[in-house]
Amino acid sequence: MNRSLDNLLFGDPTPNAQAITRATNWAVAALLLALAIGIAFRFHAAGQFDAGLWEFFAWTTTWTFLAKGLLGTLASAAMAAVIALVFGLVLLVGRMSRLRLARWPSVVAIELLRGVPTLLLIYVCFLVLPSVGIKLSTYWMLTLPVGLSTAAMVAEVYRAGVLAVPRGQTAAARSLGLTEAQVFFHVVFPQALRYIVPALVAQLVIVVKDTTFGYVVTYGELMQNAKVLIANYNALVPVYLVVAVLYCLVNHAISRASQRLGRSMH
Amino acid sequence: MGSVFQLWAGYGSAFAQALVLTWKLTAISFAAGFSLGVVVAVARLFPLRPLRFVLTAYVEIFRNIPSVALLIFIVYALPDLDALIDYEPSVLLTLTLVCSAFTADYLRAGINTVDGGQVEAGLSLGMRPMAIISVVVLPQALRAVVQPMTSLLIALMLSTSLASQVPFPGRELTALVAKIANDSAAGMSAFAVAAAMYVASGLLIAWAGATLEKKVRILR
Repeated sequence: MNRSLDNLLFGDPTPNAQAITRATNWAVAALLLALAIGIAFRFHAAGQFDAGLWEFFAWTTTWTFLAKGLLGTLASAAMAAVIALVFGLVLLVGRMSRLRLARWPSVVAIELLRGVPTLLLIYVCFLVLPSVGIKLSTYWMLTLPVGLSTAAMVAEVYRAGVLAVPRGQTAAARSLGLTEAQVFFHVVFPQALRYIVPALVAQLVIVVKDTTFGYVVTYGELMQNAKVLIANYNALVPVYLVVAVLYCLVNHAISRASQRLGRSMH
Repeated sequence: MGSVFQLWAGYGSAFAQALVLTWKLTAISFAAGFSLGVVVAVARLFPLRPLRFVLTAYVEIFRNIPSVALLIFIVYALPDLDALIDYEPSVLLTLTLVCSAFTADYLRAGINTVDGGQVEAGLSLGMRPMAIISVVVLPQALRAVVQPMTSLLIALMLSTSLASQVPFPGRELTALVAKIANDSAAGMSAFAVAAAMYVASGLLIAWAGATLEKKVRILR
């Protein structure tokens, strides 16, 4: 059985070294516990654990509001993911086309969307488009830029997958008389998907993170709802901590699902 | 096109300053985040369970939390805990923490590319574990992660747009575009100029990363 590097480096210790490791373990644990107590004390001293806080979190409205925010986040992320998957495919087809007229606009679009911060694209939808007569709802002001920005990443992920499919497959399909489109959609792309599904799922984490910008356009996602709660009840630290935990849970779950999917496909 | 030239005549120096500020934020937070990430990655190798648990939690938290949520927590919530940090250090701290978590994660993968036989060889030569890590394992791991680190640097450069979310002294590119779009009808031209600057910076980093990767790549 292969041993991990850390095991090789620090494994098979002498009884003396084992005792030192045990003692250090306890010392580190004690230090961390002291740190945790220190942080809790800081919270207490700053009045973050007063009776009002427990009351605040006992209210159903608090949790209903946060749950609504989470739903808003997921609704925006799901639509942005759909836009990214579909538009990413369009960009891929253009990027791999032999027609210069299709290839160059796709290359420019991919480089532009990948190279510009999502927040800047949101500002364009929020501040610039209304001045030229295009008015989007707050949902689309958030979802469209996030979806388009991710589409460029997804197009590159697709491309990596397509290039990983052996060329012989294309040649064999062509020799059977399939058209170029048939070869791509029936032979190459289904195989490429197998390679890239984990990377695509990982892109979902980025989509969920990017929807945090919803508060910029006042779309009712988790961060925006947290801001409203804070404005109404003045419980800044606890609300942001709950929001952070929720984001971590959702993104961690997606990351784990991605890892599992990757392992099962190998 | 004419409107872009007009915009450049009015805001040229502001764009130059914004670009320099974007680069400054990127460079400082990458240097700090990279150094911290190396320390975290190495510390995770030590056989100390509580330390490993905390460092794994550190990496998972800062990889999964949205950067803007972290920035808002640092800027607006920490003062409630009597920890007041100025705006610029807050942005740098946010980017550093996120960068360090990703660096630690990538380096872990890089460390795993080093063959166990090399560690055994080092041990048989009488080298101590820390010497093996710093002389044998880490240099190879760093050479293996040039490509992901380049992508991380580009992502970090784009993340400096977060600075537009706090009343930052001086404006980076995104904040400048938001200001111009608010003040005048030149929003689209401002976006075009800023986008060109972001894309050019990203391409420059990608080119530098690819050149470095070619030089340090380990052929196995």
